[in-house]
Amino acid sequence: MLGYIWQYFYASFFRYWLKWFIRQVTGKCELQRICSGYKPGATRTTKAEYSLQSSKNKVLRNALQASSDDLEQCVDQIMQEKNVKAQKDPRFKESLQLCLFQITGYKSLYASVEDLRKEVFDSEKLEHETMLLKLWDLLMPTVKLESRVTKQWGDIGFQGDDPKTDFRGMGLLGLINLVFFSENYTDAARQVLFHANHPKLGYSYAIVGINLTEMAYSLLKSGALKPHFYNTILGKPELQHFHQLYCYLAYEFDKFWVAEEPESIMQFNHYREKFHSQVKAQLQDPNVSLTLTVHPKN
Amino acid sequence: MGLLTILKKMKHKEREMRLLMLGLDNAGKTTILKKFNGEDVSTISPTLGFNIKTLEHRGFKLNIWDVGGQKSLRSYWRNYFESTDGLVWVVDSADRLRMEDCRQELSALLLEERLAGATLLVFANKQDLPGALSKEAIQEVLALDEIKSHHWCIIGCSAVTGENLLAGVDWLLDDIAARIFTAD
Repeated sequence: MLGYIWQYFYASFFRYWLKWFIRQVTGKCELQRICSGYKPGATRTTKAEYSLQSSKNKVLRNALQASSDDLEQCVDQIMQEKNVKAQKDPRFKESLQLCLFQITGYKSLYASVEDLRKEVFDSEKLEHETMLLKLWDLLMPTVKLESRVTKQWGDIGFQGDDPKTDFRGMGLLGLINLVFFSENYTDAARQVLFHANHPKLGYSYAIVGINLTEMAYSLLKSGALKPHFYNTILGKPELQHFHQLYCYLAYEFDKFWVAEEPESIMQFNHYREKFHSQVKAQLQDPNVSLTLTVHPKN
Repeated sequence: MGLLTILKKMKHKEREMRLLMLGLDNAGKTTILKKFNGEDVSTISPTLGFNIKTLEHRGFKLNIWDVGGQKSLRSYWRNYFESTDGLVWVVDSADRLRMEDCRQELSALLLEERLAGATLLVFANKQDLPGALSKEAIQEVLALDEIKSHHWCIIGCSAVTGENLLAGVDWLLDDIAARIFTAD
């Protein structure tokens, strides 16, 4: 209770008095202190994001909603508002701009991911069908698919004869992630599939993949992935970076599953939660970087 | 321990019900569960293993088990039969090709000894989809009229819109409650 009261007073009053006081002493505004005090990465960008968000100044708050083309102009406006002289602090502009690229980039990444998720897999669309068949060829290069609707889909872990119903709430995003992993980390993906087809410790490769897409999506949506992207992408994160993160989850979940030796696939949700908690704990570390350690083939 | 305490204890125990939700993959079991519980249903992915939810409804504590329906998981269904009060069989009304598969799985379940006392609710789901079979048609395809071993009822519903979910669950609770509370 006391903590809440303190939080309220701190956020509404003391923070401003403190900022004003430090500004008088150091001659630098909060954003300048953040940009010069920390190296590029999650700590700096997260602090800058908080500072901009809780600012009373509209110019600063609006910068968080700006499109990437307007960011340079936004930074100029902020420097004007805050009376920051480029000659005195020559690296400020570049640093703040990077922070803003990362912050607004995360939001637009979520929007792009959401668009793909909402796109329903449609057998009538040649592009979707081609992608699905490509997934088969990448994972099973020596086996020919007998027909489009076949029990063979079970060999790569779909539920029934036709994978189209398995994408469900993850839509095209689920398929694109599966294809991205198989295409860019073919050996790793086949190794994971090999584990998934183990008679005792096996699991359904494709639908576990779709479940992990859901995990990646919900982490992105909740903002939990911010530190990861702020640390690993010094600029605007793109869709491919999200697919990379999926690859990390798919590869790491497989390692985790094999090491845990679950009794059967019926325990999946228990182990999924355990793995999810591990990932969330990693994301608490300001230096987090969820990067796959195997090298892409290209 | 006095008589009253024992009676109270029994009553308390009786107000708990165990429902088992089964059906082929993509029937909509998880969506029904989540919709009934007031959760977001737009980001569901296929169920591996099972989900369990405990929720309160009309003073009953419902333990609802939602077990994955893909073929390789069906052999595990038996692990969830014990002390089931109500069986919810979910049908994708638009999946005409697999209706026969659906009938076979259901009739095999009804032979299970451990499900002998359970009430059967059939949800003819996805009524909102064009091309969905009506609940009357499904009643016929699944040969429900031949069932003499269980109390049963079929209800057309849509898990996405939430239509008729409450009606189905309420019927199920009434039937179970009547059985449990007035049995002796």
